[in-house]
Amino acid sequence: MSFSEIFLGILEGLDVTLTVTAFGLLFAIPFALVAGVAQQFLTGWKRAPVTAIIEFWRSTPILVLMFMFYYTLPVAGVYLNATTVAAMTLGLHIGAYGSQSVRAALQALDRGQVEAGLAIGLTRWQVLLTIELPQMAVAMLPTFVNQFIQLVKGTALVALITMTDMTARAKELSQLTFDPPAIYGALMLAYFLLLYPATVLGRHLERVVGRRSGRLNGGRAGDV
Amino acid sequence: MTFDIDFLQRILATIFKAMPLTLLLAFLSCIGASLVGFALETLRRTGRWQGYLLRFVIDALRSTPILVQIYFLYFVLPYYGVVLPGPVIGVLAMSLYYASYLAEVFKAGIDSVPRGQTEAAMAVGLSPLDVTLRVVAPQMLRNIAAPMGNYFVSILKSTPYLAVIGVAEMMGTTLEIASDTFRYAEPMILLGIVFLVLCSIIAWLVRRLEARLMANTRR
Repeated sequence: MSFSEIFLGILEGLDVTLTVTAFGLLFAIPFALVAGVAQQFLTGWKRAPVTAIIEFWRSTPILVLMFMFYYTLPVAGVYLNATTVAAMTLGLHIGAYGSQSVRAALQALDRGQVEAGLAIGLTRWQVLLTIELPQMAVAMLPTFVNQFIQLVKGTALVALITMTDMTARAKELSQLTFDPPAIYGALMLAYFLLLYPATVLGRHLERVVGRRSGRLNGGRAGDV
Repeated sequence: MTFDIDFLQRILATIFKAMPLTLLLAFLSCIGASLVGFALETLRRTGRWQGYLLRFVIDALRSTPILVQIYFLYFVLPYYGVVLPGPVIGVLAMSLYYASYLAEVFKAGIDSVPRGQTEAAMAVGLSPLDVTLRVVAPQMLRNIAAPMGNYFVSILKSTPYLAVIGVAEMMGTTLEIASDTFRYAEPMILLGIVFLVLCSIIAWLVRRLEARLMANTRR
């Protein structure tokens, strides 16, 4: 098998990689926003469960989370397909990281913005939705891109729960032909081509947004 | 799911037996990643072309999944006659992958040390290496202790990936029990709890360390 044949063979798994990414975003973005805002606004004992949920999703290794839900939900009578479990666990893991950036962005916003909004008679919710969140969106753009990269990289793990993504295709190909340098080189190349533009974009946004708001972007990337 | 206390005890015993190796692998990877990361960032600053080249290396490492990098090292190195045991591959892969993230942390750290420090050190005749290691690095560490600690937690949380190349760390041994008994639910839940507790403890230590370092800066 030539390198290009191997590379095209690996790309057959691209649709699974992209599908899990897309559904993962559906979990990650709402979870990050809701959890981050809740953690910022709730006080006292009400805040504890929110923190606990965020820490559960953030401080447990993603591979363990994925296996945990993939194998435990059927025992509890819940039957989800692998795509759903993968998208949910990856999405919520990344979303939990994102929630910390949401909270950092909320804290970093000038207090005068909220006070001015309240002074002209808006409710707290209106202030949040029409004043704080739009301004945060810009500040959070670099973090969003970086977390997106983590999410795409995380989809490599779905190969371990029987799904045929790019990584799984590479393993299949390695059974057809013995050429590890070409197979795993092509796999690296596929992810590199997919994510390098995003990495450069994230770095560029970090510089632009960082310069404009004059501070380091809060939060850090996940670990997949 | 029937509740079986003996089974749970057996799983816990196995997980705890694998814990020293897991922590050792994570610890060695932390050291490896810090050294490689610092070297990458220091070299990146030595000139324009080195800058472009190492920036590319760093970005390339960040653009591919760690799982794929582990597979790559595990399957490609033996092809060229370099046969290394699984744990060594694991430490190597985690060191390289996280070095690309720590390089970025060191970048912010080095930038946070005032230029005057470097200039003064050069003016009194220290060599560039001495300037980096004895003047910049110690001052930088205080500012970046928190993000560095966070990545150390990430490294610990990445050790389960090594199960795919047969390293007997906590995930690998737990999966062994699971496949022996065909019961995945309890082992996975227990393993999750152990990791959650372990990572929370380390995260708490990092926060305390950060608070202490901050207290020192206030004087």
